[in-house]
Amino acid sequence: MSNNNAPTDIADLQYVQYQGSKEATYLPAIRQLISKDLSEPYSIYVYRYFLYQWGELCYMALDSTSLIGVVVCKLEHHRSGTFRGYIAMLAVQETHRGKGIATKLVSMAIDAMTARDADEIVLETEVTNTASLKLYERLGFLRSKRLHRYYLNGNTAFRLILYLKPGTATKGAQQLGDSGEMLPQQQHLEPGYGPSVTPV
Amino acid sequence: MADTSTNESSTEGDGEIKVTIGSAADCGLDRDSASPKQAQLPLRQVPQPIVNGGSKVWDITERFTQASQALKIGQLVKDEYFTLFESIGALEIMDPKMDSGFLQPGETLEENYDALRTLLPEEVLGIMDQLLCYEMAWHQGYPLSQTLFTSVYIDRLLWPEPRSLEEAQFYRGNPGRVTDALQDVLRAYCLGIIKSCDFVIGKITSRDYFEEEDFCTHTYNRSLFSKVPHDFVLHELEIAEEILATDVDDIDETVKAAINCRLEFRRNFLVALSPDYSINFLDKYWPPVSALLPAIESSHELARVVPDAFSTKIQRRLTSTVPPRPIVELEFKDAFAKLKQLCEDCAEATKYTFLDPAPEEYQSFLWAFASRKVQPSAYARSYLAGFVFAGDNEIFEGLLRDDLAAMVFPEDQVLDPINWTIDAPRNPLFPKDKRLQMASIIDDFTNRAVQNYVELWTALCQNRCRMRRMLCHSLLAFDQLQSDASILDDELQALTSDLQQYPLTTWVYHLKLRQIEWIIQLGFEQDIYLPDELAGMYLFLAKVAETRNRLLSTLLEFWEQRQKRLEKGKKVDVEKAAKVQEGKAYIEALLAEAVGTEELSAALSSLYTLLSYLHLLPQPPRPFSSPELRYDLRTKPFALLQPVEIIPFDTLTTHIHPFGPHAAPTSPSESIVKHLQQATTYQPIDASVKRAKDAFAKLKKLGPKAASAEGVKEQWSGRVQGRLFSCVAAGVAVAGLRGMAGELVSTADAEGKLRVEGVAEGEGEGKRYHEWWIVPKVVKL
Ligand SMILES: CC(C)(COP(=O)(O)OP(=O)(O)OC[C@H]1O[C@@H](n2cnc3c(N)ncnc32)[C@H](O)[C@@H]1OP(=O)(O)O)[C@@H](O)C(=O)NCCC(=O)NCCS
Repeated sequence: MSNNNAPTDIADLQYVQYQGSKEATYLPAIRQLISKDLSEPYSIYVYRYFLYQWGELCYMALDSTSLIGVVVCKLEHHRSGTFRGYIAMLAVQETHRGKGIATKLVSMAIDAMTARDADEIVLETEVTNTASLKLYERLGFLRSKRLHRYYLNGNTAFRLILYLKPGTATKGAQQLGDSGEMLPQQQHLEPGYGPSVTPV
Repeated sequence: MADTSTNESSTEGDGEIKVTIGSAADCGLDRDSASPKQAQLPLRQVPQPIVNGGSKVWDITERFTQASQALKIGQLVKDEYFTLFESIGALEIMDPKMDSGFLQPGETLEENYDALRTLLPEEVLGIMDQLLCYEMAWHQGYPLSQTLFTSVYIDRLLWPEPRSLEEAQFYRGNPGRVTDALQDVLRAYCLGIIKSCDFVIGKITSRDYFEEEDFCTHTYNRSLFSKVPHDFVLHELEIAEEILATDVDDIDETVKAAINCRLEFRRNFLVALSPDYSINFLDKYWPPVSALLPAIESSHELARVVPDAFSTKIQRRLTSTVPPRPIVELEFKDAFAKLKQLCEDCAEATKYTFLDPAPEEYQSFLWAFASRKVQPSAYARSYLAGFVFAGDNEIFEGLLRDDLAAMVFPEDQVLDPINWTIDAPRNPLFPKDKRLQMASIIDDFTNRAVQNYVELWTALCQNRCRMRRMLCHSLLAFDQLQSDASILDDELQALTSDLQQYPLTTWVYHLKLRQIEWIIQLGFEQDIYLPDELAGMYLFLAKVAETRNRLLSTLLEFWEQRQKRLEKGKKVDVEKAAKVQEGKAYIEALLAEAVGTEELSAALSSLYTLLSYLHLLPQPPRPFSSPELRYDLRTKPFALLQPVEIIPFDTLTTHIHPFGPHAAPTSPSESIVKHLQQATTYQPIDASVKRAKDAFAKLKKLGPKAASAEGVKEQWSGRVQGRLFSCVAAGVAVAGLRGMAGELVSTADAEGKLRVEGVAEGEGEGKRYHEWWIVPKVVKL
C-alpha cells in the first residue's frame, strides 16, 4: 500500500473499513498520510491504541494502489456519563482534496458510531483550519468552546460536538464535564507528547 | 523494534533497575527524568550489569525480542490503565524524530560551541537580544527547552548545578580558564535573565493557571537560582556596569551604551519582578523599566547575531525521552513588542492597588484588564491576581458584604456594624437581640457564598477562553447558592419587614443572570456561534437581559422608596438619604446596561431571522443533526438552572422560524416577501434599536462613577461607545434591508442583490465596534 500522488477519478475510490489482520498492508500508509501534516510524528503505539481497540471505526478511501484518505476514531464511556465518540485523525491526500472524500469518510464513521449507540461525537480542530471546520459544520457539528493554546505549536482549537441522541445534555451527574479532559493534541497539526489541558 | 513501556521489564531484579532500551515516555512531565545515560544508545551488549550511580543496568534486548515473538503484529498488550495519554508518550527507538539519541551520519551528540571564545561587543549585544527574544517566546507559553535553554551560555551557568553564584561560570569544567571583561558582562546579564525566570515561575505558579495552556513552568531539573537572593544578582549586574565603564575601553561608545542600557534594563526588570515589593511604591517599579525600552529598541541594529551560541542539542541533556524540538524563533521586533506590552500591562495592574476599595470598582478593573486590546500574558495576569487575592477569604467576605450593601441593602439596618457588636444573652432561653440575629444570618450567608464569590473573581483573571469555561462552572455554583439564599431571606424577613424583598436571593440571582449574559456574549466574541445560530442566541440573550431588567427595576423602586422615606426623617436620615441617592446611580447604570442589552439583542435576533429567509446567511445542510439536538447542545450550560432561563424549544422555534425552517420555509415565498415589504415588520425592530440606543446613552450619561468604573474610565467609556456604535450600525443594517425589500419578487432574489458582511468566520475580528455585538452589514450589490 502506498501513497501515490497521481489524481484518480474519485468514482473509482473504494471506501473500506480497517481490518486488524491487514495491519501490515494499511498501517504504514495510514501513518504516512497522517504524519504529512505533522511536524512531529506519533509513535506506532498511538495508531495501534485506536486501531486495535476501535478498528471498526476506522475507514479508508482507497484507489487501486494506494490510500487516499483515512479517518480514525474511538468510542467509549466518558466520565460526563455519555457514550462518547471521538474523531482522532482525519486526512486526505492533498491531490484529492475538495472532492468530498473526507465528508464521505466522516459520514461513515458517524454512521458506525450511531449504530453502536453513541450519544455524541466530539473532536478538536485548529481555529484556523477552515477546511476542517467547514467540513464538520456542514455535517452538523457545533462549536462548544475555544481551547486556548491547545496545540503544541501554540495554536488555539475549537471543540466541536455533534449530539446524536436527545437527552445527551442532561445525561450523567457531571453536567459540564470539560475541564481536565485528557484529550490528546491532535494529529493533523502539532502532535503533543501530552495533553495540553491540565486537570483543574 | 517497537517501543515498549519499561514497566513490566524493569521489575526484574530489585531496587532501581533501568533498562537500556526505550523507556516509557514521561510526556515531558519530568517524572524520573533526564538521565544523561541516554547517551549510551544505540544498544550495546552487556553481559554484566553496568553499575552507574547506584542503578544497575541490564541489556534485555535478547529476551525481549524472544518474548515478543509470541505476539502477533498489531496486537496491543495493554491493561485498562494504559491511556491514550500514555500511548502518545510512547517512543520508537531509531526513529530520528522520536529517539532522542539518534544521530544522523556525521552528526555530533553535543553542540560544540566554545563559551569562552572571544566575543566582539556587537556579538555580546546580539546574544543579549537573542536571549530577550527567547525569554519573550517563553512568556508566550513555549517551553524553556525550546527557548532560553537552547543558549550554551545559560546552560553553562546552570549545569551542573552550581552551589553558589560564583560557581556559575562559563568556564565550567575548564578550571583555570579565565573570562574577559565582555564575557563577565554577558554572564551578569544571563544571571539576571535566569533570576527573572525564577521570579516569573514563582509568581505564575502561586496563582490559578493552566500548565501549557497559559504557560510552561518546566525547568528540567535546573534550579534557577531560587535560593539566591536577588540582591546578589543585582550586585552582579551593577559590577558588570562598572566593568563595562572602566575595563572595556577600545569599543565604540554607542555599542557600549547599548550594552549598558541592557544591563540597566535587566536590573530594573528584575526589581520589578521581585515578589518582595513595597505596596506604597507599587507605581514606581515599572516606569523605569519602560523608560529603558526605547534605547534598547533603537540600538538593536548594532547587534550581530551569533547563531552557534544556541543549540537544540542541549535538549538531549534536559529530558531523556523527547528528541530535540526546534527552537521557537520570535523576531526581535515581535519580542520587543511583547516586552513592551508586558511592562505596560504590569504597570496597569499595579493601579488595582490604588482603586477605591469597592468590589464593583475592582470587578470593573478586572474586566477592563481582561479586555485589553492584546490579551495580557500569563505573567501579567498572575501579577494582577497577586494583588486581587493578596488577602485571605476574610477580605472577600468583607467585599461580599460591601457588594450586598451596594446592591440590596442601601443604608440598611441589616448591615449596620452595630449588629456585630451585640453579645448573645447569657441565658440561652432569652431571645437573642434581633440585630445579633441579623448579623449571624449575614455571616451564614457570607460563609456559604464566599467560595463561590472568590471563584467568580478567579474566572475573571483567566485567559478569555478559560474565563468563559470557568463562568459555566461558576454559574452552576451560583444556582445552588440561590436556593440556599432564599432560606436565609425568609429568616431575615421574619426579623424585619423594612427590607427589599428577598435581598440575598436578589443579589445572587442578579449575579447569576449576569454570568449567563457573559457566557453568551463571550461566545459571540470567541466565534462560538455560527451565523445561522445568531438569531436564536440573541433571542436568548434578550430574554435573560429582560429578566435582569425586571429584577433591577423592582430593586430600583425599593431604593427610591427608601430614599424618599429617609428624606422625610431626622437629620441623620437625611444624610443617609443622600447616600442612598448616590448609591442608586449604580443600580441605574446596571439597569441601563440590561435594558440596552435586551433591546439590541432583540433587534438583532429579528434582523437575523429576516436575513435567514433570504438565504443571506450560510445554512449548512447538517444531515446528521436536527434543530432539537443542536438546541440541547447549545442550552446545556443553562439547562438545569432554577428558575428556568432557557427558552422552550417550541417557543424559540416560533420566534426565529416564523415561516418554517429558514432553508425550506413552509410559507410561500411571496408571503415572506410581502412581510419583508411591510413597514410594520421593521417598526418593532427600529423601536428596539432606538430603546437600546437610549439606554446606552443613558449609561454613558450616568458615567463611569455611577457604574463604579472610575478606575478604568477610558476603557469603560470606550466600551459604552462601542455599544452605541453597534446600535447605530444595527439601525443602518435594518434600513439597508428595508430599502432593498421593495425590489424583491421572491426570497431567492435577494442573493443576487444583497450581501451580508461582518458575520462569517474571522470577518468580525477586530472590526466590531464591540466584540460582544455581531452586527451584520447589509451591502447592496
Ligand atoms: C480537512 C481535510 C480532511 C478535508 O478533506 P477533503 O476531502 O478535501 O474534504 P471535502 O472534500 O469533504 O470538503 C469538505 C468541505 O470543506 C471545504 N474545503 C475543503 N478544503 C478547503 C479549503 N482549503 N478551504 C476552504 N474550504 C475547504 C470543501 O469545499 C467542502 O465544503 P463545501 O462543499 O461547502 O465547499 C483535508 O483538507 C486534509 O486532509 N487536511 C489536512 C489534515 C487536517 O487538517 N485534518 C483535519 C482533521 S480535524
